[in-house]
Amino acid sequence: MPKYLEMTADKFTFRVATDRLYTAQGVWILPEPDGKRVRVGLADYLQQHNGDVAFANIKPVGTKLAAGDQFAEIETIKAMVDLHAPVGGTIVEVNGALDTAPEAINQSPYETGWLALIEPAAWDADRSKLLGPAAYFPVMQAQVQEELKNL
Amino acid sequence: MNPCKEVVVVVPCSGIGKPFGTVSREAAYDLCEELRSESTRLVALAKLVLGEPGARDLVAKHPAVTIDGCKQMCAAKMVKQSGGKVAHEVAVLDVFRRHKELKPEGIAELNEGGRKLARVLAEEVAESLDGTGQSVKGASHV
Repeated sequence: MPKYLEMTADKFTFRVATDRLYTAQGVWILPEPDGKRVRVGLADYLQQHNGDVAFANIKPVGTKLAAGDQFAEIETIKAMVDLHAPVGGTIVEVNGALDTAPEAINQSPYETGWLALIEPAAWDADRSKLLGPAAYFPVMQAQVQEELKNL
Repeated sequence: MNPCKEVVVVVPCSGIGKPFGTVSREAAYDLCEELRSESTRLVALAKLVLGEPGARDLVAKHPAVTIDGCKQMCAAKMVKQSGGKVAHEVAVLDVFRRHKELKPEGIAELNEGGRKLARVLAEEVAESLDGTGQSVKGASHV
């Protein structure tokens, strides 16, 4: 079980798992123990911000991606969310459980709600562009504060 | 046609400003005003929240069907909190997942997809109320 950084705003609590890396958009990246693949998913704030997930459309296994390419599209009750690959590489597995239970993205964003496994093509180079949890946390806080202004 | 025998209370969510909330209310109108008008009673969630005696009395006396626009399930929770019995919990999202082509859009006025989704939902609930043995898909019996 990962540990979390947390912030509360209004009635909402947002968590940042401390065992992985992030993009500013709110996609998390967790290196697998085999050192060859990374698991990716939505950070807690990104999933709460967009609401209940109706469908998760993830590019199929074998898809080759450059960092920044769209690798998934999440349809929620509020919006269509394009997700961009945090690293370049090849999708080697997708979370098939999301076909029938996409709500896992909302219920367990850091564990069973993962989206895909990617085999990075240039992990060392891509990793240097990602944010550690301590760096992502204030980015998320700023996004939350910006959203609160619009309420 | 109104084959239902027992009166049921229908409580849609009050998610004002969101298409899925609007679908829940449109479905409730279809159900209570057209499909099963004689055997259903529509109760506004806001009345339960305020503790309005008439609404609380209806919920206390009759089983309820709740139709929620999101997974917060406010209608189902409020009926239970008011001492009522929820016969069916329906989430619009679960019905939408089975009818991806009926994407609801619009708030004050739903698009065609939203209207059709509301109708499908209402018809499924109506069939369930008829006791045909076909329960509301995606719903749980409490």
